[in-house]
Amino acid sequence: MTKPNVAVIFGSRSAEHDVSIVTAIVSIIEPLELTNKYNVIPIYITKDGAWYSSPQFKNIELYSSGKLEPFLKKTKPLSVSFDRGMTLIQPGFKTKNTKIDLVFPATHGTYGEDGTLMGLLEMANVAYVGCDPVASAICMDKVLARDVVSKANVKMNRYEWFYASDFVRDQPAVMAQLAKMNYPLFVKPVHLGSSIAISRVNNQKELINAIEVAAFYDSKVIVEEAVNNLVEVTVPLIGNDDIVAANTEEPNQGKEFFDFETKYMRQGKSKANASSKGAHGYSHIPARLSEEMRNESISIAKRVYKTIGCSGIARVDLLIDSKSKDIYFNEINPLPGSLFVHNWKTVGISNVELVEKLINYATERYQQKQKINTTFSTNFLKQF
Amino acid sequence: MRKQLFSAYSLKYPQIIIYMLQRGEYEIKPFMKWYFKVENFNKIAVRGELVQTLKSKLLLGLLNCLILANVLYAVYLLSRAFVTSNPVYGLLGILGLVLSPLICAMLILLPLIIARVLIVNPRQRALIKKSKVIFKKSKAIRIAVAGSYGKTTMKELLATVLSEAGEVAVTPGNKNVAASHAIFAAKLTGEEKFIIVEFGEGKPGDVVSFTKTVSPNIGVITGIAPAHLDKYPSIDAIAKDIFYLAKFVKHQNAYVNGESEYVDKYLDKDDQIYNRDGIGGWKVSKIINGYQGISFELSHGQEKISVKSRLLGRHQIGPLSAVAVISRNLGLSVGQIEQGLSKTKAFEHRMELKIVGEAYVIDDSYNGNLEGIRAGLSLLSELSARRKIYVTPGLVDQGRETKSIHYRIGQMLLSANPEKVVLIKNSVTDYILAGLEGFKGELVIESDPLKFYLNLDKILAKGDLLMMQNDWPDNYK
Repeated sequence: MTKPNVAVIFGSRSAEHDVSIVTAIVSIIEPLELTNKYNVIPIYITKDGAWYSSPQFKNIELYSSGKLEPFLKKTKPLSVSFDRGMTLIQPGFKTKNTKIDLVFPATHGTYGEDGTLMGLLEMANVAYVGCDPVASAICMDKVLARDVVSKANVKMNRYEWFYASDFVRDQPAVMAQLAKMNYPLFVKPVHLGSSIAISRVNNQKELINAIEVAAFYDSKVIVEEAVNNLVEVTVPLIGNDDIVAANTEEPNQGKEFFDFETKYMRQGKSKANASSKGAHGYSHIPARLSEEMRNESISIAKRVYKTIGCSGIARVDLLIDSKSKDIYFNEINPLPGSLFVHNWKTVGISNVELVEKLINYATERYQQKQKINTTFSTNFLKQF
Repeated sequence: MRKQLFSAYSLKYPQIIIYMLQRGEYEIKPFMKWYFKVENFNKIAVRGELVQTLKSKLLLGLLNCLILANVLYAVYLLSRAFVTSNPVYGLLGILGLVLSPLICAMLILLPLIIARVLIVNPRQRALIKKSKVIFKKSKAIRIAVAGSYGKTTMKELLATVLSEAGEVAVTPGNKNVAASHAIFAAKLTGEEKFIIVEFGEGKPGDVVSFTKTVSPNIGVITGIAPAHLDKYPSIDAIAKDIFYLAKFVKHQNAYVNGESEYVDKYLDKDDQIYNRDGIGGWKVSKIINGYQGISFELSHGQEKISVKSRLLGRHQIGPLSAVAVISRNLGLSVGQIEQGLSKTKAFEHRMELKIVGEAYVIDDSYNGNLEGIRAGLSLLSELSARRKIYVTPGLVDQGRETKSIHYRIGQMLLSANPEKVVLIKNSVTDYILAGLEGFKGELVIESDPLKFYLNLDKILAKGDLLMMQNDWPDNYK
């Protein structure tokens, strides 16, 4: 029996390009290959948007050893046909066409996780893992996500947003918009994850600097008030109609803010205590909350997931005031870095089981969609 | 197919030949058997590499020289064919080139054969003769441990407990043949109170010969199972060889595992039979079994021994009871025995509990027989887990019984009914699959065991239990 061809797409034109490589290889490709059920095809999108495919792209050493550039120079980019499905066209002495049965997107941030890639896959009518283009686009826009979630009776801390171009054109007007907010504030690019370009500020000078940094990475900037007596909680979720939650997870950040370096490069440890092991040594699972608060967090996270219309996988981040017990929606991530495998393992779902479940969800949704009629016969054109 | 054919001409070929000779302790017959069975030389030595020793370096150098000389001579013959227009030279030259890997692999065995005949064998014979005298003169209690399985565990258990009462000398690792016994004897100081010697059975007559050399006072027979059937004509022949030990030490000094299905017809009324109910008048009660180990009470009239061990599984009750009673009979106090037993734990790769993340892994990769498989599956059924995964390549050296034994393993697996079975693909996989017909769980045939073992963290999650039994070395396929 031939194995289904599963394409894992990663990299892309995104500030989270490197995180995407790790997610794809360590958390998706390697466990998929361990199932012995799929023919796993890596599709690497370079930082300038060229598509490549070769078995060598499954080896993480290619990216960490400085061998990537020379390898790309001697490898021909891939062509992809989206004519009734997705077919990889590998140029060479003899052109090789490979029909893809299912796509596992592993791109983080722009040109991938934001729904653009999912739109392409929808057009091709190919099954794929994770949220659809609409849900992905909502998740990736922190402002839009808050607008949608506000309809589901979920609390949110105070926030303001503006276009980066408005800040450049009329900084005093933007500062006036933010004047009534109470410090400390968080400044974030609206479309980026992995804590890239996020700053915590305590005064106006820091605020201006932080906005300049965020505006460098994104066209929209959001500024949020900090929550008092803060406990951050993240809830990984999977599923289509029936949503399954992993454990609540509490980043172990203390008073220090978690930037990209702390989160991904030093396992959440302080600089003096740095480790080279990578991410995910930095949290409490389950979160140090009462069981009631943990259950409430999961319930809210599921409500957010459903309201936005997520499917397959997502991760909902919440902010909790530990004194008032108020739970606020912070943001939602449609493709959590490394799929949050470490957390799923604590509820008895191994990395291999997780990717298999995600493929099953993708197949289930695809099959449901095939039942929807997309044609409608009319005499409309006859009048012309 | 093409890759397999050309693998003998790869640059790695000489290294692989010496690596396999080294893995087989430079024994000629197993090497020849492997050589003519191997399909692809490039798939050898992926799990290990040649250890650089003077011997291996010399052999590798010699093999490289042989290959070079052979190729040069073949080229010379081809040039002669061209110069003289004689096709015979050409034919010989082509044959020399094509057969170069085979010719050189056989030629490299010559110095080994010569060294074995002229140096190694005479030296070994002298050492063995000397060891016989050393064992005879020793004032220590000599305990011999024989059987198709469980020998190393029994030997280590005895050593751990008896060392509470005095100096114990014990044969190291799995060094259990005459030559290693002789080296062991040469290192004895004469100060030992107990000497424990493991008897390996490789070919008919081995245990008889070892028994005559060591002259044990006490014998422990850990069980009989189909093993080394490529050398022994039948299980009966294995049992007869091993039970010579019981006869030699007098039956009242022979401790025999009564749970072994093949021992019944060889038992003598005076043999000390141990099993999970106890041994002799000693009865087992109050058993508690789990991931932390096993505990139970051993009582005989008013006397009680509280046994607590980190060994896993009910099948260990018999051996632990035997060790307790042997030690008691040798004069150890109840306190010394309890203290010693509390120090016992699984030995490396023998029902050894490991933690991967928040999952349990029982590494029984040194297990190589049917009884061990039975014990492992019994343990898998006893322990509670979210998901049970069983991994095995099957057993080697099962001779004519290969098909039937692996069919039985399949059926035993069917009864144990783990959630997932992973069979490491090789020549016996189909026999296990035949026995597994009707299995409802997840079945995986894994052709890359190294990839599988290196990725356990991705396969397992909290509450999983994975048991791996046996691991085939590179010379088996």
